[in-house]
Amino acid sequence: MDSVFVHRGSETAILGSGRLQGLRVALQPNLSVAGWPTDAGSRALADFKALEDATIVGRLRQAGACLCGSTRMSEFGFGLENSQAGEALRTKTADLELVLDLMGESRLAAARAGVCGLKPSYGLLSRLGLVGLVPSMECCGLLAADVARIRDTLQAIAGKDDLDFSLPDEEPSDLAPRAIEPRRTTLGLVGEAQGTLSAERDKAFRAAVGKLAAAGFAIKRLSMPDFPLFSLVHRIVGSVEASSCAGRYDSVRYGRRVPGARNWNEMYLTARGAAFGSHLKSYLLSGAFFQFERYQAFENACRIRARLLSEMRRLTAQVDALVSPAVGPVDLGAPPSLAETYAGFASTLFANVTGQPALVLPAADVAIQLVGARRGDGLLLALGERLLGIVKGGS
Amino acid sequence: MEFEAVIGLEIHVELNCPTKMFCDCPNRYGDEPNANTCPTCLWFPGAAPRLSEVALEKAALLCLGLGAELQPTSVFDQKVYYYPDLPKGFQLSQAHLPLSRGGGIEIADETGKPKRLRIHHIHMEEDVAKLVHEMEGRVPISLVDFNRAGAPLVEIVTEPDFRSPHHAMEFLKALRTQVRYVGSSECSMENGTMRVDANISVRPRGTSQMNTKVEVKNMNSVRHVGDAIAYEFARQRAAVEAGEAVVLHTRLWDPDKKATLPMRAKFEGPCVPDPSVPVIALSREWIEAMRSRLPEMPAARAERFVAQHGLSADEATFLSADPDVARYFEALVGEGIAPRMALHWLGTQLLPAVKERGQELAATKVPAPRLAVLLKLLARDEINANVARKVLGAMFDSDDAPEAIVEAGGYRQVSDAKELDLLIDKVMVEKKLTAADLQGGQGKAMGFLIGQVMQASGGKANPKKIRELLAKKLGTA
Repeated sequence: MDSVFVHRGSETAILGSGRLQGLRVALQPNLSVAGWPTDAGSRALADFKALEDATIVGRLRQAGACLCGSTRMSEFGFGLENSQAGEALRTKTADLELVLDLMGESRLAAARAGVCGLKPSYGLLSRLGLVGLVPSMECCGLLAADVARIRDTLQAIAGKDDLDFSLPDEEPSDLAPRAIEPRRTTLGLVGEAQGTLSAERDKAFRAAVGKLAAAGFAIKRLSMPDFPLFSLVHRIVGSVEASSCAGRYDSVRYGRRVPGARNWNEMYLTARGAAFGSHLKSYLLSGAFFQFERYQAFENACRIRARLLSEMRRLTAQVDALVSPAVGPVDLGAPPSLAETYAGFASTLFANVTGQPALVLPAADVAIQLVGARRGDGLLLALGERLLGIVKGGS
Repeated sequence: MEFEAVIGLEIHVELNCPTKMFCDCPNRYGDEPNANTCPTCLWFPGAAPRLSEVALEKAALLCLGLGAELQPTSVFDQKVYYYPDLPKGFQLSQAHLPLSRGGGIEIADETGKPKRLRIHHIHMEEDVAKLVHEMEGRVPISLVDFNRAGAPLVEIVTEPDFRSPHHAMEFLKALRTQVRYVGSSECSMENGTMRVDANISVRPRGTSQMNTKVEVKNMNSVRHVGDAIAYEFARQRAAVEAGEAVVLHTRLWDPDKKATLPMRAKFEGPCVPDPSVPVIALSREWIEAMRSRLPEMPAARAERFVAQHGLSADEATFLSADPDVARYFEALVGEGIAPRMALHWLGTQLLPAVKERGQELAATKVPAPRLAVLLKLLARDEINANVARKVLGAMFDSDDAPEAIVEAGGYRQVSDAKELDLLIDKVMVEKKLTAADLQGGQGKAMGFLIGQVMQASGGKANPKKIRELLAKKLGTA
């Protein structure tokens, strides 16, 4: 297989007819397409083929999209190691990509490829058929060259799924396009969310904000002193969820067994030992550590998460969207440590902790991230469309 | 020093739902191994649990039937441990926010005094797979049958209110009755739809200490629960008296050795909230709708039987213990049979006969309306009790109407005075009895004579009538 795709679909297979007629969609091998290899980038699922389409895959087909292949991904989508997310768009082999967003992977991949990337509100997309890792934080992100294409696709795949009970029982979100009046729109800048930028990027971000102000948007400066806690909460809660989520890869019902085990306990140890890469292993072990040895820390993290959620809701309610730079790991080097991975996603992971929608827009020197209220995806996309024209072109 | 036992029970009850708890696989026992499985209960990648509404309803009814309070919010957690009987490395259970809290059952203690045994909480959880360990040549192998994996369970956790095996056994019997009443489970320890673990500790009588407890598992009947508790209490008391410490661990009841033996503990971690099963929010309306579906519970029914039918408390309790028996009784009374006659025939004749033939009361060949026809013949003196018993036996083998069986057997009771007089005279002659014999020896000879006349009539004579005629003959009437 080539360097971007691990599996190619037949590009002429257009089954349905609808708003996505002919749209070439690349996805990752963690989203079930019946009959396609679905290993989620892990040896734990080597040779595993999905039995059925994921709900959102079925909806893509119905809308006339063409599934053009699945792209190389990091193990279970954790981080961007070896991930080729965004490359199918950059090389123009796909019109839209679906990329799992655990802590910002889809958004930073979009920034890397110079395209738009949306992590929808938590609960907007069915998770049935998604081979996930951190159920309470992850969501399929949508990447495309422009916002309209993301909206079209989102409209086709979002919404209730009778087979996914985890979706909140809510009215459908209004995703329709709408006009944005800059003079009536407030953008919030959370000081702590801007992180430490290189001088060059800092300058670029300031310039972008300047352009928005010049276009008439009201800019409101906000503060959230607890912002650094997002990383900690994500790391503890996320790793605990990952550890229990990966518990099923025991080689009893599927997956590869390592011969020679003398009892089931050894079978578990050898199979799981061979199944996971070292980066993921350290994440799973960290989760098991918090769960079994520092349970109190896990409980505290859950409590703090609830507090951060309400604090963020309070801040978001004061504005139409929060604006921050989206910066992260771009190079595909050797697996970093967990601390480095988390440092790399410090600017994006808070939206995973809170379940808010987050849209990354490409700009010349620094990508801009817009974060809206949960279920405010429609407004966020409209804002993104408006802002894209203003900030494009760099400093 | 005198010691007392402090006992709490953890009771798993398998709900009799048509499907498993989180998927649509049949919840059925005895099928080919792994026939009832799907990507969800095997936890294939991408699977999502879907909580069964029926399971929630059956669990809720069970809680209400035990007087528990349904909680407006309850949540599933992951009980994490690694064992091949768990297809995903954790069991979905409600550790922090259970479906209900409180409730309890009143039993009669050893002296007959009422004692209330409280329930701490009741939570839902899924069952695990069944492991079968075999030898393949010389290699030990373990086989996993996932048919049971994901079957809907509730766990009833009591307060440590129990002090004796008697308390535990009475509680379990009453619990079984009440759960059968609401229709949520058969609650059979023999076939595994009710599984009981007992937590036992000892302390000096009269103190309120809570000492280290030992968990005992593997009891397969209510009797075994009593035996295991009695054994474990004696074992711990002996240990304490010998100055040894009781260590927290789990023991298995061995019914052959009649002893509890230590077992290796499963590795188990704390429970974390499950992010995939939604929070269960019960509205007041829903809870009330469930409550309105509750049948009349055994205690209330027994009270009504006493008031309405003039039965004793014991009789009423006996009739109410099994909903099928209570229904049968009420059907007999509804057919116009006197309550006491209905009770007597149901308890001493019909139930033993049904059991002997391996039938279920609800589906027996002699349903209440059919037995009522027979009992009416008896009540009208058209047949006597002996004959009625004989005809009842025949009714199990024939679809004929009771009257037809009576006619065919020539069982109709002889009450005709002339006919009976002849029989009496014949017997007196044959047995060389005089009126003087009868007057002298009174009761004894009289009884003998009645027996002989009955025999001579082939069991069809009306004994009441014989007695009347004899009295007339002897001038004692």
